[in-house]
Amino acid sequence: MPKILLVEDNEINRDMLTRRLARSGFDVCCAIDGPAGVAMAASERPDLILMDVALGAMDGWEATELIKRSPDTADIPVIALTAHALASDREKSVSVGCADFDTKPVDLPRLLGKINACLSAH
Amino acid sequence: MSTSSTVERLNNFVDWFIPADVVSDVEMRKQARIFLYSHIFGPFIGNTVPLALYLFDPKPGFQITILAAAITGFWIFPFVLRAFGHYYLLATISIQNLIFCILWSCYFYGGVTSPTLPWVLTIPLLALFYVGSSPRMRLVVLSLFAVNLAAFLFLYNVVGHPASTMPVSAMQSLGLVSTIATSIYVAMMALFYANALAAQVELGAEMRAHMAKAADLRSAVAEAERAGAAKSDFLAKISHELRTPLNAVIGYSEMLMEDMSAAEETEAIADVKKIHGAGHFLLKLVNEVLDLSKIEAGKMEVNVEPVDLQALLERVGERHRPLARQNNLDLVVSCDPALGVIATDSAKLENALGELIDNAIKFTREGGVTLVGERVRGAKGDEVAISVRDTGVGIAPERFGSLFEQFNLAGDTSASKYGGTGLGLALGQKISRLLGGDLAVESQLNVGSCFTIRIPAKPVETSAKPAAEDRDVAAALSAAETFHRQLRPLIAQAGREAEPASGQGQEVKAAVNA
Repeated sequence: MPKILLVEDNEINRDMLTRRLARSGFDVCCAIDGPAGVAMAASERPDLILMDVALGAMDGWEATELIKRSPDTADIPVIALTAHALASDREKSVSVGCADFDTKPVDLPRLLGKINACLSAH
Repeated sequence: MSTSSTVERLNNFVDWFIPADVVSDVEMRKQARIFLYSHIFGPFIGNTVPLALYLFDPKPGFQITILAAAITGFWIFPFVLRAFGHYYLLATISIQNLIFCILWSCYFYGGVTSPTLPWVLTIPLLALFYVGSSPRMRLVVLSLFAVNLAAFLFLYNVVGHPASTMPVSAMQSLGLVSTIATSIYVAMMALFYANALAAQVELGAEMRAHMAKAADLRSAVAEAERAGAAKSDFLAKISHELRTPLNAVIGYSEMLMEDMSAAEETEAIADVKKIHGAGHFLLKLVNEVLDLSKIEAGKMEVNVEPVDLQALLERVGERHRPLARQNNLDLVVSCDPALGVIATDSAKLENALGELIDNAIKFTREGGVTLVGERVRGAKGDEVAISVRDTGVGIAPERFGSLFEQFNLAGDTSASKYGGTGLGLALGQKISRLLGGDLAVESQLNVGSCFTIRIPAKPVETSAKPAAEDRDVAAALSAAETFHRQLRPLIAQAGREAEPASGQGQEVKAAVNA
């Protein structure tokens, strides 16, 4: 069962996405902010990370950069979740090393498609 | 009130004599007006002197006739000014004539003790009035005065002068007439000057009032802009905050639907579907408000990239086909094969087209919606026209003007009848403009509407290869279509049915791409 780390600070979104991903056949673990996400990427060694970018003090971009800098976690694909489909968000995602990006609110079939594409590519 | 209207009428009268090139110069017009007043009314006052001389001189001679002629000659000046212009030259000649008249009468009637001597005062007064602030002209007229005076003194004292034939009592009467006439003349000019000055002060006050008003308006505009920016900012923030709870509504209702369909609770599913639909509707509304406020605040980014228009139209059509089918409508995509690849923002264009298609589906009860893309020749060069045609209720012409206003649907009742946010068209228009084009509408009540987005067909700049290839395709297609057109009658003659050109075009395109 592929393991997904969800980094999301909003409790409702976290609960919802965790349960929906679990139903779709993933093993899901959660981090509630950037530093926790970076730590859990190393400790849990997930197959994929879903990173909300609007996180608090340390945002999703910074957390992703830290994850990509560490040799232990650099190869874990990260999908960024942003509020808007802005070109700047897309460029930022690529520049910090995200494998893909998707917009919120989550369209589950679309997100699952991206997750599966990333997992099969790695 | 009555004096000002009299002054106005007088001004209008004298203005008739002022040539066009002088009228446009405010400073010169003021001088010309003084010049004209002086020349129109001056001879009436001035001629009292030759008149008095005729009466008082026991032996009136030619000198009085010449004086009267010279004074009356001032009346010619306004007409010469109107006919030929040359204001400064005329002013100089006029001053010379004035000096001549005064010195002429002094020469014959008593020299420096002449009763007509007070008139000398009017020379610098009028001279400086006429020429205004020009230093060069001031020097000219004052030199003229000095030269004349010197010549007069030389002539009178050195060359000699005629003996006065006037008795002392007559000289005294002449002095009285002369002094009164001079006073009236100077008073008239002073009055005129005072009036002009008052008008100028009034003008200045008015100008200051206007400037104060302009400053008020500027600050009001700045205030309005600040308020507008604050509104856009607020809308952007609140829209963003609204999306989080909407995520939950949509997400959890989807989860409930999954649970219920597993448990086969069909009745409850219908209710949850309504929650889910309402959630999606709200989300769309929030997104539209967010986009509109972003465009209004000038914060909407345009991400220009090569866009294959045919692929885009087919994608948009595919996405809206389920909704059309739900409403028993056909959704047809009809594409000019030469549509090609242009540089624009595909996400924005898709968004705008989506709004138009949603709108078309919403207002169509039967028939269908057609998405048509074609290349057209616009005023500013090559353009792409993408139309969304429906067979719906149509729009009355009187509603065209307010159609693209936010929250304005065709008829207040239609909002409840057809549903919808009323933001779609406003957003469609704003996006079209953001992409350098515009959105137009044609419609007929109960027949249908056609909304057309026209955007410039900007060629793709970087790595021109795909665009060049595309141009090759377009050229090949165009040649093929011409060929086919020429061929059609021959085929028909051969007794076979000619196929439509578009089908042929597709084959050619496939061949060129391969």
